[in-house]
Amino acid sequence: MKAADIILKGCIRSHTPTNGGEIGAASTPLAALAPAIGSGRLPSMTNASGTGTERPRHADEAVPAAKRPTPPVQHAGPAARVENLRLRYPGEDTPLLFKGLSLTIERGQKVLLLGPSGCGKSTLLQVLGGLVPAAIRIPMKADCCLVPARPGYVFQDPDSQFCMPYADEEIAFALENAGIAREEMPARISRCLEAVGLCLADPHFPVAGMSQGMKQRLAIAAMIAMEPDALLLDEPTALLDEEGTRQVWSSLRSVWGGRTVIIVEHKIAGIAEDMDRVIVFGPDGSIQADGSPRLVFREHRELLREYGIWYPGFWEDYDRNAAIRPAATAPSSGVRSAELLLELDGLEGWRGGRPKVRTGPLAVNAGDWIAVTGVNGAGKSTLLLAIMKLIKTKGSLYIPGIPVQSLKKPGDMAKHAALSFQNPEFQLVTDSVLDELAYSLPRSLREPERSSRARTLMENYALDGLGGRHPYQLSMGQKRRLSVATAMVGGQRLLLLDEPTFGLDASGTVRMMEQLERLRSGGCAILMITHDPELVRRFATRQWLVDGGLVAERSGGTACI
Amino acid sequence: MSTAMPNADRPKGLTLADILVTLVVAVVFGIIYRIWNPMYDILKPLGLHAEQLSYGMWFMAGTFAFLLIRKPGAALLAETAAAALEAFMGGSWGASTLVYGVLQGLGAEIIFAAFLYRKAGPIVTVLASLGSAFVSIFIDAHYSYIDKMTAWNYTLFVSMRLLGSVVIAGLFAWALAKALERTGVLSLIRPASAKDYEALG
Amino acid sequence: MHLTFSHRETWLHRVNPTLKLAVSVLLFVAALFVHNPNVMALLAAASLLPLLATGHPPLRVLLYASPFLLVFISSASGMIMFGTGATLWFELGLIRITEESFYRGLHLGLRSLQVAAVGLAFALTTRPVALFYSLMQQLRMPSKYAYSFLAALNMVPLLADEFFTLRQALQIRGAGPGRKGIYGRLRMYALPLLAQSIRRAQRTAAAMEARRFRSGSGKRTYYYVYGWSRIDALYAVSIAALWLLAWLLGTHYPLLAATDVR
Repeated sequence: MKAADIILKGCIRSHTPTNGGEIGAASTPLAALAPAIGSGRLPSMTNASGTGTERPRHADEAVPAAKRPTPPVQHAGPAARVENLRLRYPGEDTPLLFKGLSLTIERGQKVLLLGPSGCGKSTLLQVLGGLVPAAIRIPMKADCCLVPARPGYVFQDPDSQFCMPYADEEIAFALENAGIAREEMPARISRCLEAVGLCLADPHFPVAGMSQGMKQRLAIAAMIAMEPDALLLDEPTALLDEEGTRQVWSSLRSVWGGRTVIIVEHKIAGIAEDMDRVIVFGPDGSIQADGSPRLVFREHRELLREYGIWYPGFWEDYDRNAAIRPAATAPSSGVRSAELLLELDGLEGWRGGRPKVRTGPLAVNAGDWIAVTGVNGAGKSTLLLAIMKLIKTKGSLYIPGIPVQSLKKPGDMAKHAALSFQNPEFQLVTDSVLDELAYSLPRSLREPERSSRARTLMENYALDGLGGRHPYQLSMGQKRRLSVATAMVGGQRLLLLDEPTFGLDASGTVRMMEQLERLRSGGCAILMITHDPELVRRFATRQWLVDGGLVAERSGGTACI
Repeated sequence: MSTAMPNADRPKGLTLADILVTLVVAVVFGIIYRIWNPMYDILKPLGLHAEQLSYGMWFMAGTFAFLLIRKPGAALLAETAAAALEAFMGGSWGASTLVYGVLQGLGAEIIFAAFLYRKAGPIVTVLASLGSAFVSIFIDAHYSYIDKMTAWNYTLFVSMRLLGSVVIAGLFAWALAKALERTGVLSLIRPASAKDYEALG
Repeated sequence: MHLTFSHRETWLHRVNPTLKLAVSVLLFVAALFVHNPNVMALLAAASLLPLLATGHPPLRVLLYASPFLLVFISSASGMIMFGTGATLWFELGLIRITEESFYRGLHLGLRSLQVAAVGLAFALTTRPVALFYSLMQQLRMPSKYAYSFLAALNMVPLLADEFFTLRQALQIRGAGPGRKGIYGRLRMYALPLLAQSIRRAQRTAAAMEARRFRSGSGKRTYYYVYGWSRIDALYAVSIAALWLLAWLLGTHYPLLAATDVR
């Protein structure tokens, strides 16, 4: 048995899995939930691994009935298993994503899957829950493919998980699919919302009015409504801020009980210690490490760093090894050239007929790296749009040597300042990376120089070898770097960025930061919206705090968000 | 040996993902049309039918959706959806858009069906756009008495609408589908071929 | 769509959505067979009446109805100026207004007004969720279509936001060499929006399947149940009565000279 070999080799369980047989007594709302949610069969909650948990995909792979583990023992058999999995995206020259992968996940186990971007962990999660190939038709073959009877999923993107406009209707959709009687729905809906800590006065709450963190918790509630025996979580916090991330993990911890949990995630700080097992995949989709979190984080730190995973202690390791000395910690950080690049005085950005954001007197000098911080909705993005004159503004904006009347339109501002949006795709307009860079170069530039300039840019922005690639087929980190490259091609010295590391893994973040540091030390000034205190502390030289629409310099060295 | 994939054939009929992609295509064109083209009702009173050139945008959802999905029903669904969305957003043409949408979608669908849904080149796309255009002219003849226009005006109306359809719903749709293909987002829409499975060994 | 604004629920909201849709479509088809402008004028007036019973404040209804004027003019003017007819009233260059074309144009304007009013009354009193639940229950619409429509409607505001962000991004990116013309502009806007929303559609489909949504197989229960009630009969009868009244008054007491615009 190949699969078993791998498990035995790698899996050393460090501590007994959460609660083992005492799930019923778990101190979570789940216990209260069980009788209501269980579909009439009371034991269905306490023994998520009950009969029928194993649902072989094909008759010929079925485990003989006699071999099937009998309930209600926890860990009495696999919750999911693949043997000799081969999988590849359709297309001419796509590589094999998995070449004979075998993996078994025991029932009740809490497993974290880690690996570099693009190694196929999310796809594997969909195979382990049976979504591939039943619902998503990716060509795959396997000698054995066992999936949980009732897998429940939460995905990464809070904006594409719902088909109904209101919270109660979304959970009702899951209940309808399960054939739950209508009369039972309202009570179940409120219990599911309560279980994840979404305390809505009225469950008929518009999804569009929720924060991203609330949406993810609603997704968890809808998953719980289906009484899953296994929870499969595909980077549920990747697009959330710190607060949302914390809430999602605490909601999950309070509902998972004795169920099997498989998580794919890059940001593992809030969750790693709850796991029984961590599996690290290499770029080729092979298993590189498999064991208890303690073991993996101790023995395979190098691997985690290489694969761009935010393991605990990542920044401390970075500080020791960084090739580039961040500005904030470099000894020269205090010595700035005093060359003024931009001056704002009482600049107001208007939205919907009202001033949304207003600055005090603020100056930006060459060599500044200003972190723009503040809570969601404070007006940070509006500030950047106002500086670029993309919205109605009042007050003064001054750039040395440029008459005020030629700073009125976005087209004018774009000659002096570049803005990188959160979604880089919106700024990419051609069919290849090389064209994209060439497109932005001044028209006067003639052909041989034109392509050679573009090639130099590709090297500078760590995009070499990708010239022929379609911009949309790049990774998120590469897209962001390309959009910065195209924005800065015209020799602008002011760079405005809206959360440039949002959703990036650790290596993408570091690459972006080091690129920005090169620009800064080359005489540019950077204005960067961010929620990450580690970035502010390490890279920024100054900080602007946006509070209730007012922008002010935050003095006193320490970063505060 | 056993395989976890039921079969390599293209799944029959529209899958849930196909339907959602088709509907979203309709939404995108609906929004572009609505935001970008408020000129329609302003140009129309001039009676010179310049607005008819942009009318092809209405047929574009249908032809374009077929070029992406390449299955029976996609063109009809996309046109119907575009119309339903327009009606729901309080569009000023009310329930009539729904009737127009369904019938125009059928106009394109019939052409694609005539080629057994196997051809998706520029010529078939242009023919399908004309299918939609002819149906719309037919309804307009009843709704707007356009056959009671003076001869030159009637001819202008018909030729402008046909021209707009050929260019926008035919050629533009085809070129845009090609451009979208290069972005790689369609890789999961097109059904996998038997070759894809052979490569798995 | 308009449900985002608070308003009073009226009896029109409680009419079965499928019936309301069927009636709205039927009224459009019926309007195609009305050629008497006197009847059409009364029908248009009759169709404006239910707008007062939508439960929305009159000022808001007026705001929504403001494009009606444009609809009226745009439908009428072309035919008035360039329609065929024998009794010439006015001629200037290509413009040639005749009695017949004038009444035909007027008739067209009224017809568009009528259709628009019916459509607005429907949109103001029907939640999309209610319509599609009712279509699944009354007309056996396959659930995969119904829920997909609802999911697509959810994406409308997201897409509108994206459109404006995209416009800002392109404003900054500026016009480089090439990429001009209608197709170039269409492509610049359509491609990012399409790519983004196709990915989103696929993710949504996966999320729906992950909630074990299987169309067709198995019994579905419904959170909202729609059936028939006395209000539906009341609605059908009152619409029919309004139409009958308009038709009788229009044919027997014509106000306009023309009685058939064909």
